[in-house]
Amino acid sequence: MERQMINKKKRVFSFEPTKLPPSEVFTRKYISHLVPALKKLNMGKSSPQINQLTVKREVDKALALSAQEFAWSRFLLQKLSSSNNPTTTTSSSSIQTQILERSNDEDGEIEEKLKELQKLLPGGEEMNVEEILTEIGNYIKCLELQTSALKSIVQDAT
Amino acid sequence: MLEGLVYPESLSLSYADMSVPERLKGMQQHQQIEVLSQSSNDSPELLQILQFHGSNNDELLQSTFSHFQMLESGFGTKYNMDFGPSHEAMDGCISRTSSCQIDPADTMGVMLKNSVESRAISLKNKRKSEVKTREEEKTDKKIKVEAETESNINNKEASSDTSKETSKGDSEIQKLDYIHVRARRGQATDRHSLAERARREKISKKMKYLQDLVPGCNTITGKAGVLDEIINYVQSLKRQVEFLSMKLAVLNPELELAVEDLSVNQFQAYFTNFPVVIASKPSVMVDLPLFPLDQQGSLDLSVINPNQTSIDAVKFINLKTSLIILSSCYLSGK
Repeated sequence: MERQMINKKKRVFSFEPTKLPPSEVFTRKYISHLVPALKKLNMGKSSPQINQLTVKREVDKALALSAQEFAWSRFLLQKLSSSNNPTTTTSSSSIQTQILERSNDEDGEIEEKLKELQKLLPGGEEMNVEEILTEIGNYIKCLELQTSALKSIVQDAT
Repeated sequence: MLEGLVYPESLSLSYADMSVPERLKGMQQHQQIEVLSQSSNDSPELLQILQFHGSNNDELLQSTFSHFQMLESGFGTKYNMDFGPSHEAMDGCISRTSSCQIDPADTMGVMLKNSVESRAISLKNKRKSEVKTREEEKTDKKIKVEAETESNINNKEASSDTSKETSKGDSEIQKLDYIHVRARRGQATDRHSLAERARREKISKKMKYLQDLVPGCNTITGKAGVLDEIINYVQSLKRQVEFLSMKLAVLNPELELAVEDLSVNQFQAYFTNFPVVIASKPSVMVDLPLFPLDQQGSLDLSVINPNQTSIDAVKFINLKTSLIILSSCYLSGK
């Protein structure tokens, strides 16, 4: 009953998944990935440093898993799984796609910045300019959602 | 000169004699002539331009005509279907090319491009080039040369680029499905530069979107600055995440999170926090082409509703109590 009333008043929070705003979809997925992982970590006992690393990994993992529509999430998962097994040589397709720009002074700057951006973005090394710009957009959004999710979790705990 | 090609003989332009009827045979004559007469009625200016310039460029015309005859067949098939709809479509028909400023090579390029590429090449290559004529530059008007292609045309970009009135005084140009690229005077209209221009436009579109996304980028002009800001923003977000995860690691043993306890309402507690964060940023409206994700349960980040009334209080509430408060908030009709 409440649910129905809520549905009427706020279309945002409906049960049908197709109508959920994408930010919600993401955060739902994120939390559903992160929280059980954290619980699991809680069970095990480990030194604080290792704990930190693993938490970080879990955080990133949850991010990647909740945003599988995007290309960068694939690369992120790859990275995570490879860092999990340090023995496996990363099939680093170090084909750094060249960012072809005109070689003016001004554009040289832009080129450098794009290269920086490439490094920031997981998987950016293998994308061309247009792809980078697209992927960066949704990467930023997911990062924002992730930060707010983490904030709320942390605040709940304190 | 090109107009000479298509204007019917009734206009009695001297150079129009031979090739016009030939050319017209290759295409659907009737519609063209209809519209042409219509458009020529509407545009005495153009007619004057023609008559003024026509005589000067006979040789030029002849050479172009021979080229066009080669292409006729190609065009025939294409234009047959394209000129189907309303005569407003004729607005873009090749017939109404502008005056003699057109470099035959250019138009050739355009024509060639369209006949050959339309099927093979993807959306971004479908172009509509605009040519400014001398007169037009003076009077600041534009006549469009539209090369229509077949069905698979990018609708979205066209609708965003579909532009304004031509000098002919045509009313609204019916939104047709192609990408408009203006080839201004002195700019090449060959395949490569058009494609490049399309690419550049795409990129600048994406940059604009990113500008909206990153707070504080609106004031910055120039790609470099915007990119700088984006880099800084991403770095700061990453640092925030790191910091929060460290905090989480410290707090982890104390978290009373039990998945079973997390009902849907409690999820909503988390969700309502987010609009606060998001609403503080400028609302983001994205052109769909940039993020073509389908709605079904997937992430279309273009739609973030900044108008959600957020419940700030929820942020600071313990998980266990959030359920109660949330439901009461909703019930009270926020």
